Parts: sequence; C-alpha cells; structure tokens
Amino acid sequence: MTFAAASVGEDLFRALLQGMAPGTVYALIALGFVLTYKTSGVFNLAFGAQAYVSAAMYFQARVEWGWAIVPALVVSVLLLAPALGLILERLIFRHLRTSSAVAKLVVAIGLTVAIPSLFEVLIGFEPVAGRTPEGIVPGGATVFYDPFGVYRFSRDELVAMVVALVAMAVLAALFRYSGIGLQMRAVVESPRMTELNGIRADRVSAFSWALSSLFAGLAGVLIAPRFNTLAAPDFFNLVVVAIAAAAVGRLVSLPRALAGGLGLGILIALANTFLPRWSGDHPLLASIQENVTPAMPFVVLFGLLVLWPAVRRTREQSDPLSGVDPPPPSLAAAERSPALTRVTRVFAVAFFVVVGLAVFTQADASWLFLVTQAVILSTIYLSITVITGLAGQISLCQGTFAAIGGFTAFQLTDRAGLPVLLAGLIGAVLAAAVGTVLSLPVLRLGGVWVAIATLAFAFFFDAVMVKLPWIGGGDTSLLQGTRVPRPTIGPWDLADDKQFLVLALLMFTVVSFAVIRIREGTVGRTLRAVRGSEVAAQSIGISPPRARITAFAVSAFIAGLGGSLLAMHQENVNYGSNFAPFAALFWLVLVVSLGSRTVEGAAQAGAAFALFDAVVLKGAVFGWILRSPDRIPGFLPLSPKWRFILFGLGTIQFARHPEGLVEYGKRRAHARVEQALARMRRTGDEPAPPAPVEQAPVEEPVA
Amino acid sequence: MTPPVLEATGVAKSFAGIVALRDVSLEVRAGERVGLIGPNGAGKTTFFNCVLGVIRADRGTVQLNGEDISRLPVHARARRGIGRSFQRIELFPESTVREHLLIAERTRRGDGRLWRDLLGLGRPRPDELAACDEVLDLLGLGDLADEPIEHLSLGQGRLVEVGRALMTRPRLLLLDEPSSGLDRQETADLAATLRAVQAEHGFAILLVEHDVELVEGFTERAYVLDFGSLIAAGPTREVLDSAIVRTAYLGDMEHQR
Repeated sequence: MTFAAASVGEDLFRALLQGMAPGTVYALIALGFVLTYKTSGVFNLAFGAQAYVSAAMYFQARVEWGWAIVPALVVSVLLLAPALGLILERLIFRHLRTSSAVAKLVVAIGLTVAIPSLFEVLIGFEPVAGRTPEGIVPGGATVFYDPFGVYRFSRDELVAMVVALVAMAVLAALFRYSGIGLQMRAVVESPRMTELNGIRADRVSAFSWALSSLFAGLAGVLIAPRFNTLAAPDFFNLVVVAIAAAAVGRLVSLPRALAGGLGLGILIALANTFLPRWSGDHPLLASIQENVTPAMPFVVLFGLLVLWPAVRRTREQSDPLSGVDPPPPSLAAAERSPALTRVTRVFAVAFFVVVGLAVFTQADASWLFLVTQAVILSTIYLSITVITGLAGQISLCQGTFAAIGGFTAFQLTDRAGLPVLLAGLIGAVLAAAVGTVLSLPVLRLGGVWVAIATLAFAFFFDAVMVKLPWIGGGDTSLLQGTRVPRPTIGPWDLADDKQFLVLALLMFTVVSFAVIRIREGTVGRTLRAVRGSEVAAQSIGISPPRARITAFAVSAFIAGLGGSLLAMHQENVNYGSNFAPFAALFWLVLVVSLGSRTVEGAAQAGAAFALFDAVVLKGAVFGWILRSPDRIPGFLPLSPKWRFILFGLGTIQFARHPEGLVEYGKRRAHARVEQALARMRRTGDEPAPPAPVEQAPVEEPVA
Repeated sequence: MTPPVLEATGVAKSFAGIVALRDVSLEVRAGERVGLIGPNGAGKTTFFNCVLGVIRADRGTVQLNGEDISRLPVHARARRGIGRSFQRIELFPESTVREHLLIAERTRRGDGRLWRDLLGLGRPRPDELAACDEVLDLLGLGDLADEPIEHLSLGQGRLVEVGRALMTRPRLLLLDEPSSGLDRQETADLAATLRAVQAEHGFAILLVEHDVELVEGFTERAYVLDFGSLIAAGPTREVLDSAIVRTAYLGDMEHQR
C-alpha cells in the first residue's frame, strides 16, 4: 500500500464530483418513486419500466427516425411519460386503492415485465448490442469540462446534473406555492380526509402519477448514455437504486430521498476510487472489490432494511381514516368443491397420458427439450406455490435459490467428482440453508419489504457472488462454461433425452405430492392461518416467524432442487439466461397470474414459460389442429415478447382473484355447470324443490 | 393458597410522554368473571395488549398462574393459557368453521412437524375432529361446521373466535368488547352461551366492555379505569353504583345528552 498522502484529499474531491452526476439522476428517480408511493400507496416497481420507455422512445426517434433533439425530447419525455403515468393510474391503480399493499406490488411487478415488451412491440424497437444511446446535447460524450482540475465532466454529465436540479427545484416550488402542490401534500396525509374537504383526491393522484412518470422519463433519458446498450433490465436495476435512496427517507420524505440519491451516487464513486487501493495487495479482496461497486446500492438497501428499525416501522398506510376503508374483497369458496377436484384430476391424468404418449413417440429433439424444460420449471415453480401461495410472501429471489442448486451441482461434480444427483441434492439443502438464514432478518420486515429485501439479495448475488470462483467458476467458466454432467443411475444413462425426461417427471411428481401433503398438513394449515390473520394465529399459540421460516426453507429447497435439475438438463448452469433476477421476476409473474395456490397452476406456469412461445405464438397449435403446418394463419408467428405482455398484464387480476386466472375461470365454469344442473333437476321433477342456494358456491367477492 | 390466574402488578405504559397506564394492578381468580370498564381513551385496550404481549409494559409484571410472563411474546403467552377474542373480528379467510378449531387444536398439541406432513400424517385425525365437534356443539355451531367463514353472521363469527380460543384450553379468556356490532338479543345470547361454556370448562374471563348492561349482568367483579388509573374495584353492582364511577364514566354520557 503505497500512495502519497496528499492525493487522498484530491481523490476524495474527485470521487465527490464524479458521484454527483449519477447521484442527481438517482435522486430524481427516488423523488418520483416517493411521490407515487405517498400519493397512492403503490410501491411502483414498474418505475424503471416507465423510465425505459422514455429512454427507448428518445433513442428510437433520434437514431432510427432521425428526429432533431427537441421534438424527440418533447415526445418522449413531455408527452409519452406523463401519458403513461396517467394510463397506469386511470386504468389500473385507481381501481386497486383498497387492495393490500402486496397486491399492488404484484401488479407493479407484472407491469415491470409487460410495459417494456409492449412498448417494443408497438414501436418496433429492438435493443441492439453495442449501439450506445446518446444524450440530449450534441457531443455529450466527447466534450469535456474540467472546472476544478481534478475531474473531467462530460457534457452529458453536466447537463444531466443541471436538468435534474432544475426539475427538483420546480417540484419544490410546486409543492410550496401552487394550489395543486398544497392538495398533493394533503392527499399524502389522508386521501379520505382531503376528499371530505371537497378536493377530488382522484385528480390529485392522477396528477402526481403524471408528474412522477415525467420524472421517470426524464431520468431515463438522462441516464441512458451511461449504458452501452439500451435494455430493460438495466432500468429495472435503476429502480432498485431508487428504492435504496428512498429508503433513506423511509419512503416518505422527499428531501431525504434526494439526499439518499445523491449520497448513493457519491458512495459508489468513493468505493470505485478507494477500494482498489486497499485491495490491491490481496487477490481475494481484489476480486470482491471488482464486484462490490456495482452491487453497492443493493448492499445499502439490504443493510438499511435489515439493520435500521425505523424503515421497518414505516406504516404501509398511515391514513388516520384508513379504518373506514372497506375490507379487501373476501374470497368466497376458496376451497374447491370435491366434484371440481375430481374433474380436475381425471382431466389431468387423461391430458398427461395423451400428451405423454405424443411426446415420447412423436417429439423430435427440440420439442423434447422444451417439454423437459417445462417439467423442470414446473418443479421450480412449486417453490413459488409454497412461499407465495401458501405463506402469502412475495419472494423475488427464487431464481437465486435455484442458481445455488445449479452452481452446487457444477462445483461438486467439477471439483470433488461427486455423482451429480447427490451434488444436486446437496445443492438443494444448501439453498434451504441460505433461505433459512436469509429469512431470519427479512421476515421481521413483513409485507412489501420482504419482496424488496429478497430482490436486493438477488441482485447482490447476481453482482457479487456469481463472479466468485468458488460459486460461478470465475475466469475458467468464461471459457468452458459452467458444465454439469447428466446423471447415470445404475444401468440408466440419462444422457439420453427421453430417459432424462422420465427423471424430470419423477421429480416433479414427488415434489408435487410433497407440496400437496404440506398444504393439507399442519404446516400448510398453520401458514394459511398466519396468512389469513397474523394476530389471530398468534392468539392460538402459533409463532408466525417460525411458520414463515419453515416456508422459506422448504421453498428454497424445492427451488434449489429444480435449479440443479435444470443445470443437468442443459448440461450447463447458464446462470445469465436461466436465473438472473430479471428472468426470475418473470417466474413470479407467470405463477401468480396463472395460479399460485395449486400444483396445477405451477404446472401450467412451467408449460407457459417453455412452450407458450412455440405452441401458441409460433402457431404450432394451429398446425396440429388443421393437420398441416402450411395452414398456420398469416399473422403468426408473433413476437415472443407477447409472453411477457400477456402474463405481465395477467397479474392485474391478482388483487381480486389471488387464486389465479385459470383457477378462477375453472371455478366460475364449474359454478355455472352446477347451476345449470340444478335448473335441469328442477324442471325435470315437478313440483320444484327449493332452490339449492347453499349448494352453488358463491364465486363473486362480496365487496 | 393457589395464585390467581392473572395477576398484574403495577403495570405502567406511556406513549411518547403521554401516560396511558399508571400503575394498574388487577387480579382474576380461577373461574371468575371480571369486567374492565372505563370511558374511551381510559387505557383499557392498552392494558389488554400488555396482558396479551402485543405491547410490552414499561414497568410492572404480568403473572399467569404465578409465572411471570411479562417478557414472553404473544404466541408463547397464548400457549400458557391466555385465549382471546377480537373487537374487530379476526378469522382466517378461506377456511371452514371446523378448520378454525382444528388448527388451534393441532397447535395446542404441538405435534405437527414438517416430516409428519411429508409422510402424510398431517391430515386431520378422528380424535381431533371429535374434539372440535364437541366444542362446536357446545357453542351451538354444530350445523355450521363445514360452512366457509364468509357465510357467517357477525355473532356467529364471534362464537367461532371463542371456539377457536377454547381449543387451546385457556385458563383465562380475554374478551375484547364482544358486544360490538351485535344487537341486544345477540349480546344476551352470547352471554348465555359464554356462561354455559364456562360452567363446562371452568376458565376465568376478563371482559373489556363498553356495554354496561352486559357487564352488569355477566361479571361478578369489575375494575374501572379512567385516564390510565384504576379508580374503582369491587363487586360489579357496587362499582357501577359508586359516585366516582358515575362522574367519570356515566356522568360523561349524561353531559352529552
């Protein structure tokens, strides 16, 4: 460690300046995030998607359509961004005002997945690697200024800083001096109280959505030049950064969110400047340092959540009149009637026999691959059935648990030469252990915060852990990949794809039965009680944290097991495409929109993930029905992005029907059949017996 | 002499400098029905929560059958014999009436383990179902056992809460304003059922209540809280008739008229 003492001060100053530019933009996003959260109680994870839409629109207009800067800016930031905010408020979140915070979060997660794809499909935007977005001034990346002689600001950076500061000043003035600002402050305190005073809280809320969306768009356009390629996941990372900044202000204080954003930018710059010095002599530290800087916001967020009790105590809704809210819609007839269960089981068996025969006799290698993938993903999705369906917790790190299983299988076969099935099992146990340890601090948070903390953990794993040699394989894996062999059991060599599919099916069956038994047993009943009413569960002696820790451990175990299977199937862990946080987000969206309560829902979600593209969007199903691949309708194939759009938007029904689309539809159909049968019976044998009111399950929520 | 079922000694609690409870001492003996009354904001709910462990008292101790439970979390106190009902009804959605009792019974037995579930041993057992049905019959809920909770009236829901609490075999049942939301007839029915059940099971009852009529007819002794302090204690009728209580509690009402 040799460096001149004098340079420390200079480095400090340089880091400070360097951190200012991204810091102001982070602050901008954090402000917008807090604004929506305060005025509508929505934990808007889709904020990054909103920023992405504006950035992509600007990019498209400038680069593809050759527009001048000003019209491109007006359309993307001043028109598109507020319009998007208004649409979201009007069409979606206004109707969710009395829904639980978790339901709103799930919808926001669905939108995070849907909005970028929807935009790309509508506009025809395609992210192209290596085409760097440009800023809002000519020569933004090439002209530099060096006012203090220590750090050279690019023109882009300076402009971003100035624009962000102006936007914040305008917001402050708006709050202080304008009528709508005063109303916004009132709505923040209590929407109902404000309405009682004759102010339409709806309009104020719509205005603040438009305003915060404008902030998101502005921030998106300003920060875009920092990315090499415009891609939605980077903007999703951005919203996590914003949450970290907003958490500094406990999500409610605008000035503190501003300070948080600025501080985070500077903290990252400081780490970038000083960590290399201290770690230069230690190879271990160096490898950590390289990866810690991108993970800084996630570390800060996770640390804040776990270590700072004040954040946890932030009430999700601090409205003094919130007691007069109508209760959330109750879920009548959540239990299936025995008849429906029987019908479902018979249908499922028939379906599996037919499809199974078709797959084993007809399928070529590519279909076999997709079907196997569907089965394995269904197994992984059962982990979401446990944690979200049974325990009612939103975990956004299921991909990480699965990755732990996959990486363990890779490491133990690669280094220790263990049989891969044993290695996979150890991986599952390891994932369960990590899940347990993680759940200890996280579970005290409750509600929305569990989702955010698990998300922070997923990003931390993604940014730091994966790059460590003893997890992701380090440099060698870049050349050789993270190879995992196929297992051999006695005489069976599962290198053969059909035999491996049998193994995958076997695993899925075993895990399914385990999940069903847990659901019907003590653990499932306990979790249902805790999910239904935590205070009531405590009052009969149930310890909610203990119940949830069990759920986390079981869920992580299943995910780890499935993850190792997936790695065996692909003979490679393929972390980036399989388990990255953004990809795993889509898992949750799929399972929740199709049905997180049932094994069936998990199976359908797995099939949707692997097969929806090939069967529906590419039109194979029409080919089968019409018995000729030539008669596939002309509008097909559709873009695979429709997967994200359809299932992302499918989460919107979660607030009303948490049991999922398929399950809800099935129950409705079943109720209709029952009613029709009852009517037939009545007309059949006169005189009419009294209408069997009790028999027909009530399907519509009471409220 | 056996210790009282519940003995609170010098319980004090303040929120941000505002005193909610000032050295409140109270005891409930085995098989007794005791009322805790007082005007709005007197600290009834705060005291209730201190006993349950929802909040922790600043000073003072809470003893259950002579054991100090002041530092235990809510669920541990429940396991030691405190059952409760809720003012705003708290049931488990998407469950039937019997399932409410079943989960309480299973929790009391404490023999539910993950591995037992996995072996298929987690399903309801005949003896558990019999125990549930016994209590349901006692409460007059036998016909509703398989009804989803969403189909019940408020009064029935409150009885389910009581039944669920009974499955934990409580020594002390805390009732939090059980008459709220019920009309006079329903309240009277509830009181009659509670008496009958208590005669069978022999637990003690601490009733926090606004409805003077219910307190008068149902409890043997009563404590009166006002501004966080106990201002009267004794046989219910005497307490309700005393001048100090009339000014603090009933007198308020007369002023408003």
